[in-house]
Amino acid sequence: MPQNEGYYYAAYAIVAVTYALYAVSLWRRARALKAREESSR
Amino acid sequence: MHWLSVVAGAAVVATFVRAMFFTPLEAMQGAAQKIFYVHAPAAWVAFMAFGLVAVASALYLWLKDERLDRFAESSAEAGVVFTTVVMITGPIWGRPVWGTWWTWDARLTLTLILWFIYLGYLVLRGVIEDRAMQARFCAVLGILGAMLIPFIHLSVYLFRTLHPRPIVMKPEAPSLPNEMLVTLLLAFGTFTLLYVAFLRARYAIATQRDRLAAEGR
Repeated sequence: MPQNEGYYYAAYAIVAVTYALYAVSLWRRARALKAREESSR
Repeated sequence: MHWLSVVAGAAVVATFVRAMFFTPLEAMQGAAQKIFYVHAPAAWVAFMAFGLVAVASALYLWLKDERLDRFAESSAEAGVVFTTVVMITGPIWGRPVWGTWWTWDARLTLTLILWFIYLGYLVLRGVIEDRAMQARFCAVLGILGAMLIPFIHLSVYLFRTLHPRPIVMKPEAPSLPNEMLVTLLLAFGTFTLLYVAFLRARYAIATQRDRLAAEGR
């Protein structure tokens, strides 16, 4: 069996980081809008 | 945090654990074959997301309902994220299995073009200030971009390509052992749920942004 675990670990790590970064970007944008709304009251 | 995001996050963790520790290795490809469980579902979700962009865009052009435009905008952004995962994991899988990171064959090239089209779609959203014009132009681009999807799916039948033919989404029964098939189906469900969670959160942002703009804040 070929020894290529490095590619598999790298792929899973990158996938997890990509989805996590997008989730954080959504959270930050929602928080910024909330702050804008509160500051303009 | 919304409950849907929590459930989707937990499902992603469970899918990773199942794929990494409870799914057997494939004899020919070794561990690299496990990239399949994140690559194929990301492609499925990306195509679904862009297909929904096209449907919502067509309905927007007909009904002029801003909620449809916001839905299309949100789905396009999530679709770009999933296509990014496809474009990263594909070469990482290709290198140990095909011996090359990239080849300009029909499946890979068309998927790259699809990615660029929807990246352009998001850029267009940013550069057109007039809200109605932005929605109209993006609706047209969103519909045209999605027309590539059937060609991408059929490209492995129509052209000589390194990319394998579908092993699940085909007329015959899936050609995977049961343990692998269960993991793959779980991954399809999980990443579809993650898409819905992303879409909900992004749609809420678009709605709040438009409401604040309408109130002049």
